[in-house]
Amino acid sequence: MPKHYRPAGKKKEGNAARYMTRSQALKHLQVNLNLFRRLCIVKGIFPREPKKKVKGNHHTYYHVKDIAFLMHEPLLEKFREIKTYQKKVKKAKAKKNEELARLLLTRQPTYKLDRLIRERYPTFIDALRDLDDCLTMVHLFAVLPASDRENLEVKRVHNCRRLTHEWQAYISRCHALRKVFVSVKGIYYQAELEGQKITWLTPHAIQQVFTNDVDFGVLLTFLEFYETLLAFINFKLYHSLNVKYPPILDSRLEALAADLYALSRYIDASSRGMAVEPKVDASSSSQSNDREESELRLAQLQHQLPSSEPGALMHLVADNNKEVEEDEETRVCKSLFKDLKFFLSREVPRESLLFVLPAFGGMVSWEGEGAPFKEDDESITHHIIDKPSAGHVYLSRVYVQPQWIYDCVNARIILPTEKYLVGRIPPPHLSPFVDNEAEGYVPDYAETIKRLQAAARNEVLPLPGVGKEDLEDPQNLLYAGVMSRAEEAEAAKNKKKMAAQEKQYHEELKMEITASKDVVAPVVAEDEGEESVPDAMQIAQENADMSTVLMSRKKRKLYEAMKIGQKKKKASVELIEQRKKKLNDAQS
Amino acid sequence: MIQTKRKRVPVRSLKEEEDDLLLLDSNDYDGDSLSGSLHSDIFDPEDDGSSEDGERESSEDEVDGLEGSDDNDDGDESELVDGSDQGSEQQDEESDSSEDEVAPRNTVGDIPLDWYKDEKHIGYDITGKMITKKEKPDKLESFLATSDDYKNLYKIYDEYNDEKVELTKKEIMFIHRMLKGKAPHADFDPHAPYVDWFICDDARHPLSSAPEPKRRFLPSKSEAKMVAKLVRAIRKGLIKFDKPEEELNLYLLWAGDSTSDQKSKQLTYIPPPKRKLPGHEESYNPCLEFIPTEEEKASYKLMPEEDQPKLIPQRFTTLRSIPAYVNALKESFDRCLDLYLCPRVRKKRINIDPESLKPKLPSRNDLRPYPDSCYLEYKGHTGKVTTISTDYYGQWIASGSTDGSVRIWEVETGRCLKIWQFDEAIKCVAWNPLSGLSILAVAMGRDLVILNTELDTDEEQEYIKELLHLGNVIEPNASVAAIARWLPDEKYGGIMIRHFKNVSSIDWHRKGDYLSTVMASGETRGVVIHQISKKLTQKPFKIRGLPVTAVFHPSRSYLFIATRKNVRVYNLLKVDEPVKKLETGMREISSLAIHPGGDNLIVGSKEGKMCWFDMDLSSKPYKTLKNHPKDITNVEFHRSYPLFASSSEDSTAYVFHGKVYNDLNENPLIVPLEILRSHSTSSNGGGVLDCKFHPRQPWLFTAGADSNIKLYCH
Repeated sequence: MPKHYRPAGKKKEGNAARYMTRSQALKHLQVNLNLFRRLCIVKGIFPREPKKKVKGNHHTYYHVKDIAFLMHEPLLEKFREIKTYQKKVKKAKAKKNEELARLLLTRQPTYKLDRLIRERYPTFIDALRDLDDCLTMVHLFAVLPASDRENLEVKRVHNCRRLTHEWQAYISRCHALRKVFVSVKGIYYQAELEGQKITWLTPHAIQQVFTNDVDFGVLLTFLEFYETLLAFINFKLYHSLNVKYPPILDSRLEALAADLYALSRYIDASSRGMAVEPKVDASSSSQSNDREESELRLAQLQHQLPSSEPGALMHLVADNNKEVEEDEETRVCKSLFKDLKFFLSREVPRESLLFVLPAFGGMVSWEGEGAPFKEDDESITHHIIDKPSAGHVYLSRVYVQPQWIYDCVNARIILPTEKYLVGRIPPPHLSPFVDNEAEGYVPDYAETIKRLQAAARNEVLPLPGVGKEDLEDPQNLLYAGVMSRAEEAEAAKNKKKMAAQEKQYHEELKMEITASKDVVAPVVAEDEGEESVPDAMQIAQENADMSTVLMSRKKRKLYEAMKIGQKKKKASVELIEQRKKKLNDAQS
Repeated sequence: MIQTKRKRVPVRSLKEEEDDLLLLDSNDYDGDSLSGSLHSDIFDPEDDGSSEDGERESSEDEVDGLEGSDDNDDGDESELVDGSDQGSEQQDEESDSSEDEVAPRNTVGDIPLDWYKDEKHIGYDITGKMITKKEKPDKLESFLATSDDYKNLYKIYDEYNDEKVELTKKEIMFIHRMLKGKAPHADFDPHAPYVDWFICDDARHPLSSAPEPKRRFLPSKSEAKMVAKLVRAIRKGLIKFDKPEEELNLYLLWAGDSTSDQKSKQLTYIPPPKRKLPGHEESYNPCLEFIPTEEEKASYKLMPEEDQPKLIPQRFTTLRSIPAYVNALKESFDRCLDLYLCPRVRKKRINIDPESLKPKLPSRNDLRPYPDSCYLEYKGHTGKVTTISTDYYGQWIASGSTDGSVRIWEVETGRCLKIWQFDEAIKCVAWNPLSGLSILAVAMGRDLVILNTELDTDEEQEYIKELLHLGNVIEPNASVAAIARWLPDEKYGGIMIRHFKNVSSIDWHRKGDYLSTVMASGETRGVVIHQISKKLTQKPFKIRGLPVTAVFHPSRSYLFIATRKNVRVYNLLKVDEPVKKLETGMREISSLAIHPGGDNLIVGSKEGKMCWFDMDLSSKPYKTLKNHPKDITNVEFHRSYPLFASSSEDSTAYVFHGKVYNDLNENPLIVPLEILRSHSTSSNGGGVLDCKFHPRQPWLFTAGADSNIKLYCH
C-alpha cells in the first residue's frame, strides 16, 4: 500500500484539501491565466503558504476558500460576457462589417468596481491603510506619457493627474502632511489621516521612460482598481469638508497647469460658502466655545434622553475630544510658515512646493500667469530659487534653495537660511523616516537640527555656528560636565590598574608553568583573590555563552540570528564611521 | 500563316522587348482605332495588325489571298511598323523579298540557345531540316562593315534565326521614345477622354418588353420590418445617437461605517506589508559618508548579482539636476507582482533584546561549591592520559595512558605512588567501589587485568590475595568460553581475563563483585559480566546494535547499555527483554552516566551534545544541551553533590549544577557553572579524554591528551 493511500470515497483532508495550485484553480474556475490574474488583482486575492506543500515547492498555492470566493464573484460572469462580446466585434470586423463593429463597440458591456472596494475595505480606515501603493502608482501614471503601444490612453493619464491633484489639495487644505523627503527616486510624502500614516512617492516631474521588462497589462489592471479607489476616497474626503465632488475648477487656472492652486481655491471658496452650516462651525469656533457648547448640548441631551442610554452621550463627548486632539496634532504644521510669503522661481519643482507650502501654512506665488501675487511684491519674505539668476535682487527677501523648505518641514522649525542660500552647496538632506538612535548612527547635521529644535522649544535663540562644532569634537562633550569628567578619569585609572594586574598575573603564570615542567610536585595556582582579575569582558562573555547552552534549539537559532543581525547593523555603521573618519582626515 | 508565325518569333535582346511593348501598346490603342473605325472609312492598316485575334488574322489571310495588291499592308503588319507610307512601303518591299529568301525560320521554340552552342546548326525549319549556322564574320570584318556602311549601325543580330535584322526608322523612333519613358506611338494619347461603349439612354427597342412588376411599386416589407426594429431599438434606448457623457458614478461609499462589524465570509485579510521607508542614503543630497568610495563601488561589481546593493547613493548639489529615476516603472511593476503573486503569511516579528531570550538562571555564587580553578597537576605520563579512576575514599587516583602505564597518584600531594607498565595502550581503568577492596581493573586491548594495588591493611591484603588467586576455575559453557578466558597474570600477580574482542569500557557493580565489560565490536556478544569471587563470566543477554558502554544502576539490579543511538535498560534478574529503551536522538553516543539517585541519567554524544533523561518523565530527553563543538569523551555525575561534568575533545570540560528534586512534579534544575579550559589545545586531536569527580569533595579530575591530569577545586 502506498504511503499516502486514500481509499476511494474518502475525502481529502488537511492541506491537500485546503489548498490548490494555481493551475488547479484555473481549471476549477474555467478561466484563462490572464483573466484569473485580473480577478485576483481586483479582488485582492493572494496566494497562501500552506504548512505542507502537497504538490511540491514550485507551485503557487491558493486557499480553496479564496477560489470559491472568486467563483461566486459576479465580475467573473461579467468578464466572460465581455470576452464573448469581443468575439462578436472581432467577427464583425473580419466580415468587413464596419458599421456593425462600430455599433457593437459603442455598446460594450462595462463593469464597476465600487462594490469590490467596499468588500475589500469595509471601513474607511482600512482603505486608508492600504493607500500607499495606490497613491504611488497613480502619481507615477500621472506623469507617464500616453502611449498607444502600451494601451495607455490620454484620458487615463489625465484622470490620474486629476485624482492626484484632488488628493494633494485635500491634504494641503487639512494640513495633514507630516514629512517630505527628496530622494533620488522621487519625492516621498507622508501624511497622517485618521491616525493612519500614508506614505507615497511622486516621481520627479521629468518625462518618464518606458522600459521593456514591464508587463503593462498587470500595471493597468492595478491602476484601474486604484483609480476607482482613490476617486471614492477623494469623494469621501471632500464630502467631509462639505465640498462638492468632483470639483469644478477655474478653467483659466486649469489651462495654466496650476490645477492644484485652482483646486485649493475652490475648496476654500466652497467651504467658506458652507460655513453657515453647523457641521463646519464646530471646527471653526474656538476651543473654549466648543467645550461650552458641548456641555450645553450634553445637558440638553441628558434632559431629553432616558438615562438608559449612556453610550450615545459618551459618543458625543468622544467626538468633541477627538476634534480637539486633532487640532493639537496639526497646529504645529499649520503654523510653521504662517507669516511667510514665498515666491517660486521658474526652475524649482513648482508642483511639489505648491503642495507643501500651503500645507504648512505658507503663502505661495510663482512666476507666470494666474499667480496670486507678482514677483515685485514687497511682502515676499522668501524667494525659492535653484540657480543663481541675473534678475533683480530684492533686499527685503531671502533667496533660498528649495531644500530649505523640505528640511524646515521635517524639522518643524524655521531653520537658519544661511547654509541654504543660493549658490552654496546645501547641507545634507536627511531622511525624516529614519530613527537615528535605533540605526546606531547619527549624522552631524541631525545633531545640529536637534539642538536647534531644542533651542526653539526653549525659546532661546541658537548661537549660529556653535552647534555643529560643539558636537564634532568628542572632547568637548567631556567638558560639558565636570562631574562626568572626574568619573571618566577614575574609570580610566581603574582600567589601567586592572590591565596592569592582569598582565602581571599572566606573566607569573607563564613563569610558573615553565618552571614546573619537570617537577611532578604540585603546582599551586594563585590565590582566589586574583582569580577575578582577568578581563571582566571575557568572563561576561563566557557567562553569556554558558546560558546559551541551556536554550532550546529553536531559541538558540533565533538568538544566533539576532546576533548576526546586530552584527551586520554594527558593521554597516562602522563602515560609515570609517568613511567619515577618512573624509575628516582628508579635509584636515 | 507565315506572317503570324513571324510575328510570334521572339527576337532576342532589344527586339523582343520592343515587340512585347508594342503588343501592349497596340492593345491600348485598339479601342481608339476601333471607335474611329466605326465612324470613318479610313482604315489604318497598322492598327489592325496589332490585334492578336487569331480569327481576325485568318480572315486577313484570306483577304491576303484574294487581293494581291493588299499584300503590302500585310507585310507591314508583320513588321509591326507604323509610320510614313513611304518608309513602310520600302520596308514592305524589303520584307517581302526577305520573306522569300529567308525561308528557313527556326522552329526550336523558346529554349536556351546555348543548347545549340556546340552544334553546327541552330535549329530546324518548318520542314524539319537543319538550319546550319552561318559563318560569323570576324571582328575586323564587322568593324570594317560598320565603318563602310552606316546602315550597319542599325542592324541587330538575331541569334535565334542567326541573321541580321535591320531596324527601320520607325523602330528606332520607338526605341528613342521608350528610352524617354513615353508611349512608343507618337500619336497615342494616354490621357484621352473615356468614351463609353454603350449608350445608357433608353433604347428605342428595349431588350425585354415585359411590364414593370407590382413589387416595384409596393413598399418593401422586409425593409419595413428592419425599420420597425430599429425604431423599437431607439425607443428602448438600445441605440444611442449621442455618445453618453461618462459619469463618475461616485457616491459616499463608506457612508455608514458602523456596519463594518458584519462578519465577512472570506478568509482573514492579511494587509500587504508596507514598502520600506527610504533611509539617509537614498537622499538626493546625502551626507558624504554615505557615498561609497570608488574602491567600494568597484567591489560591488565583483559581488554576485543578488548581493549587490540596489541603489548606490549619489549626490546632486541642486534639486534641478536630479535626473528621472530609470527604474521607477520597474519598481512599481515589481511591487505589483509582489502584491498579487507573493504568498502572504502573518509573521511575528520579534522585536526584543536577544539577551532576553536567555533562560533565567540562578546565580552561580548561590550554587557553590563547584570546581572552578585548577589546583593541582599530575605529571608523569608520556602518552595521552585516556582514563582515570578514584578509589572509594578519594585518597588515590589511578590513571591509564596510551604509553601503556598505569599509575596511582596521591590526590592531595600529587605524588606518583605506583607504576605498572604494560605493552598495550590502556583503554580503561576502574577502581573497585568497595571500601576495603582496593583492587583495580585495567582494560587494554583484549585483556582485562585485575591488579592488587597493595594499598590496604594486611588482613585486607590477605583477602585480596585470596580473591585474586585463580584456583580451580569452574569450567564455563562453550559459548561463554569463546568470549572470555580467565588466566593468571604472571607479571603482576593478578587475574587476566582475555576477551575475543577489544574491550572498550568496564564498570564495577556497586557491590564490587561483578564487573561488566563492553566490547564495541562484539556485536550481540558485546557485553559480558564477570564475577570475581567465583571467577565466572556470564553473557546475560543479546545486544541489539553496537554496544558503546554499559553502566550498573547505583542502587538496583539494572544494567544500562548504550548502543550507538539508544540506551536500553535491562533488569539483571529477568534478562529477556530490555525494561526500557531511551531514545536519545543523537547520532553516536560516546558515554553515559547515571545520577546516584538512579532516576536520571546523562548521555554524551560524539556530536558534542549531551542529553539529560528523567526516566520517570519519559523515554525522550528532558533536555538536550549543545555545549561542545567537538566530541564529548565522558560525562560524569558527582556521587553526593548536585554536580555533573562533561569533557570533550575541544579541550574543555563543563561543570554543571544538576539538582534533582524529590518532588516528582519538579523538573531537575540544570545550570551551567564553569568552563574549564586549562588543558592545552595544541596537541594533535587532543582535548580532555576523561573526567571524574572526587567521591567526597566537589573536585574534578580531568585527563588530558597533553599527558597531564588536572585537579580542579572549588
